[in-house]
Amino acid sequence: MVFTRIVSVIGLKKLTYLLPILAVGVLMACEDVINPNLQKADPVLVVDAWITNLPDSQKIFLSRTQPYFENLLPPAVAGATVTVTDQNGVVYSFIENKPGEYVWVPSGSNTFGQVGLRYQLQISTGGEIFNAESVMGVAPPVDSITFYVQKGNQFVDDLYLAEFWAKDPDEPGNSYWIRTYKNGILLNKPSEIVTAYDAGFSKGGNFGGVQFIAPIRRSINPFDTDANGNFLSPYQVGDSVFVQLHSVTEAAFNFLNEVAVQTNRPGGFGELFSTPLANVSTNIRNAQAAGSKAVGFFNVAAVTGLGRKFNSLDDLTEN
Amino acid sequence: MRLLLLTFILLPFFGHAQTRFTLSGYVKDGANGEALIGANIYVRSLATGTTTNVYGFYSLTVEPGEYEIVFSYIGYSAQSKTLNLNESIRLDLELQPEGRQLEEVVVSSEKELQGVKSLQMSVNRLDINTILRIPAFLGEADVIKSLQQLPGVSTVGEGASGFNVRGGSVGQNLILLDEATVYNSSHLLGFFSVFNPDAVKDTRLYKGAVPAQYGGRIASLLDVRMKEGNNKTLAVNGGIGTIFSRASVEGPIANSQGSFIVAGRRSYADILARPFVDILNEGAALNFYDLTGKVNYNLNKQNRIFLSGYTGRDKFFFDKNQGFSWGNNTGTLRWNKIFNDRLFANFSTVFSKYDYSLQFGENERDNFRWKSSVQNLTFRPAFSYFINTNNEVSFGAEANYYWFEPANAYGTSNGSRIDISLPRKYNLETALYAGNNQKLSQRVAVEYGIRFSHFVGLGSGVQYDYNDTTAGTRRTPVAERTYSRNQRMATYQNLEPRLAFKAELNDVSSVKASYTRMAQYVHLISNTTASNPLDVWTPSTNNIKPETGNQYAVGWFRDFGKDRTYEFSAEAYYRSTQNQIDYIDGADLLINQYLEGDLLSGIGRAYGLELYLQKKSGRFTGWIAYTLARTELKVNGINNNQWYATRYDQTHNVKVSGFYDLNKRWSASANFTFVSGTPATFPTSRYVIQGILIPYNAEGGRNNVRLPAYHRLDIAFRLEGKTVKANGKARKNSDYWVFGVYNVYARKNPFSIYFTQGDERVAQGSPLNSEARQLAIIGTFIPSVSYNFKF
Repeated sequence: MVFTRIVSVIGLKKLTYLLPILAVGVLMACEDVINPNLQKADPVLVVDAWITNLPDSQKIFLSRTQPYFENLLPPAVAGATVTVTDQNGVVYSFIENKPGEYVWVPSGSNTFGQVGLRYQLQISTGGEIFNAESVMGVAPPVDSITFYVQKGNQFVDDLYLAEFWAKDPDEPGNSYWIRTYKNGILLNKPSEIVTAYDAGFSKGGNFGGVQFIAPIRRSINPFDTDANGNFLSPYQVGDSVFVQLHSVTEAAFNFLNEVAVQTNRPGGFGELFSTPLANVSTNIRNAQAAGSKAVGFFNVAAVTGLGRKFNSLDDLTEN
Repeated sequence: MRLLLLTFILLPFFGHAQTRFTLSGYVKDGANGEALIGANIYVRSLATGTTTNVYGFYSLTVEPGEYEIVFSYIGYSAQSKTLNLNESIRLDLELQPEGRQLEEVVVSSEKELQGVKSLQMSVNRLDINTILRIPAFLGEADVIKSLQQLPGVSTVGEGASGFNVRGGSVGQNLILLDEATVYNSSHLLGFFSVFNPDAVKDTRLYKGAVPAQYGGRIASLLDVRMKEGNNKTLAVNGGIGTIFSRASVEGPIANSQGSFIVAGRRSYADILARPFVDILNEGAALNFYDLTGKVNYNLNKQNRIFLSGYTGRDKFFFDKNQGFSWGNNTGTLRWNKIFNDRLFANFSTVFSKYDYSLQFGENERDNFRWKSSVQNLTFRPAFSYFINTNNEVSFGAEANYYWFEPANAYGTSNGSRIDISLPRKYNLETALYAGNNQKLSQRVAVEYGIRFSHFVGLGSGVQYDYNDTTAGTRRTPVAERTYSRNQRMATYQNLEPRLAFKAELNDVSSVKASYTRMAQYVHLISNTTASNPLDVWTPSTNNIKPETGNQYAVGWFRDFGKDRTYEFSAEAYYRSTQNQIDYIDGADLLINQYLEGDLLSGIGRAYGLELYLQKKSGRFTGWIAYTLARTELKVNGINNNQWYATRYDQTHNVKVSGFYDLNKRWSASANFTFVSGTPATFPTSRYVIQGILIPYNAEGGRNNVRLPAYHRLDIAFRLEGKTVKANGKARKNSDYWVFGVYNVYARKNPFSIYFTQGDERVAQGSPLNSEARQLAIIGTFIPSVSYNFKF
């Protein structure tokens, strides 16, 4: 996993340089979209509950799994009772706003939750009760965002990239989900799932109490291609970037990494390094162990963020 | 049990009071002085004989008398000698290769090794001439790819490292190059293997019935022996191919008392691209090379020494600071000693190292460097005692000191440097073995042996205890114990009996049976579809138990046709394994201090039927190999704790190889492969979390469907260079061209089918598209041409 992440984070842009050499290999490999028959399965409850302390409406989405090739919005689960209770017994009721969407709206300057507190999610639907637990962790402030240029060569033009600067707190054991908005649009492809454990990629990395490592600081750059397959500069003059650090539990960190492994499939030779398809974890538990299954995740995050607009080439700093 | 065995081993030593004399010596190739492995020495009047060992040595002890003795080896003119054995005689003999009539492919000397007469079963042997004939990917002859044309051997697909034998995983094969362990046998991921065919003499794959001398892996033994080098004349071999070029030099030293060979290869796509691609001048690299060398020297009639080595490396660099590389280094020092005409010994000291490094970060303030390696130093004395024509006892020992460096790594983030290295691990693996190869009658023979292996972890180090949790989820450490330097940590031992039996039913058919138990103490940690260069080797610890395997095999062997032109064999095997390693979903295998918490352990079973029909001589030669097999694992925490087929489970595996001489200069070869679909895991359903489409399998199964079948045809034509010059004189040099096409009918064979959401950016609130994509690593036909020369 580290391997593919390293290649995807640092390698992607550099890899494009080697494409002419790899051309032989790339031309040999070949991918086709196919329509295999899949086994049928009964739908199960899907809980999408990622709550933050941002001063917005907090939403929990309930739906059901659908056949893999059903390219429609997921079927909503309406009429459920959804509450989140903190360890002090304070109950937050999430009210159904539209089918499957349950909302808690902050009043005044009052945002959801408090760092360090434990939260219990309870969902009552179809005569069954589902529970999940989370703790709100800490998120360090994003200190600054810088822009730098990566000089082009005969194959690519100059690329303008962004980098955020933040320092992981000294106390180890924090994990984060880094979410980036470019011009107000969330970068949300599977390849853009970015997580950090302390200041590094994984728990075993033992990076704690320092600036986030460079591949994470620079993970906020979208690598999109134009219609001809040429790489576009992640940012251009006039673009804005907004970076958020969401604190996540270690279980949620593992979940996000599993999701990245299962969904970020670059194809090609990357398939040699892929792992078998497996279900990602869930922290949603049926109160009755023998009851129906559920998938999804509940996390309560503290969020910090910072934005910056790329006003002119004068904004560039030395790489 | 042990007592019984001891009796068996000692039995042959008694009861032979009569005077006997011994004929012993070396059998060599008359053209270049190479020792002939497995040459036949046959005593006509006694209808018995022996074969040369891997160093070409033989020893035959008989009652006094006059004997006609025939020395033979396939592809060489047999020699008959009448000897009066009234004293022990040392006879070193050279056999001359048969003249090149029509360049006929001798598929192998399997008559001696694998056929009806031999005791050995479950061995695939390919000689280098066959390997050079098999149509190859990009025209490059390859030892491991050639082995995959034989029954019982498979691969997960093009580009995948290594090979699978009778349901074993890639890491369960012991690969030896002149006795040195090769930890990763691949170049360029898995497209080529590390063995340079110019330097290889003999390749033998033991799929079962592994002699007691060998151990340490539970699936197979691939024993690759390097050439010694021509001790008659200086010879240069070379080849210019599509992807790399090769060159080798060999020749005599010290008045033909010794010889040497040096062989090298290098890929050159990057050299050709350099003028056009600027970044190659800035340190980017994409290449591999290897260098193989060997030298030997006869100290005197009783003593001979060999020194051989290999170094090879693959490099993949984006620029001078970023990229990765990997390679093997091996060195073997051997001393053959003939204590007396019946006691042959070899002492080997072997070093082997596999390492890889990975680095990124464009400057000193922000970078990451990671090196990982596994090394071992081995001392291995091995004795063969040729008691009489009916008993050949072998015994010896092995001591193997390992040191593992899982991660020597640091990262620098904005100037602060953090060491994320993991501690080294040290281990000592030792073994004692003894065995006897005994002829019970003219038609019945048995080989029995036992190996006792012992493995210990040595400090300094830390052992962890992990909690018990739901099977299949990450376990976390709950206690740790620190060990000081050289303090003994986890210790394991195993008795590994080996048994093989042969009974000839008549002159042309025999039945064989074997039982093999093996233990494996070091493990290849890999959870990806194909094994890859960054896979880590890790030793057994208190948490990782040694893998063990038991294999039972039976076979029927039959020769038929005029001059035994055809050979047929059928073998059936059953293999059960314990402590097989598997992985939790989402396991983090690299630079993970708590790696063991992500590992699972289970049992395996594999069984199959292998049919092999070979035509060994004539203008048309070739073989058909068919394997019907099943390979399954049962691991708590995977597939709801039920048996599941492994990724390399192939129900039907058909390989056809044919070689045809068109005329004196042109020959054609073809191979066809059919493999029924390998298992894969498909989802049933999908769901969306935070805008990401996640595949879901409602039953939580592993490998619940099969990919479409794989089939492929390759052809090659070989054009021999002229053998005479324009003026009618014979040319001293020889050369040939090979023109080939791989995947002739351009089938897009599936390597994998994967499930993903579309590549496009989807606005919030819009439905996501899901698709299934089928990947063919080779999606078209690949032509190639290569030129090979010798002078």
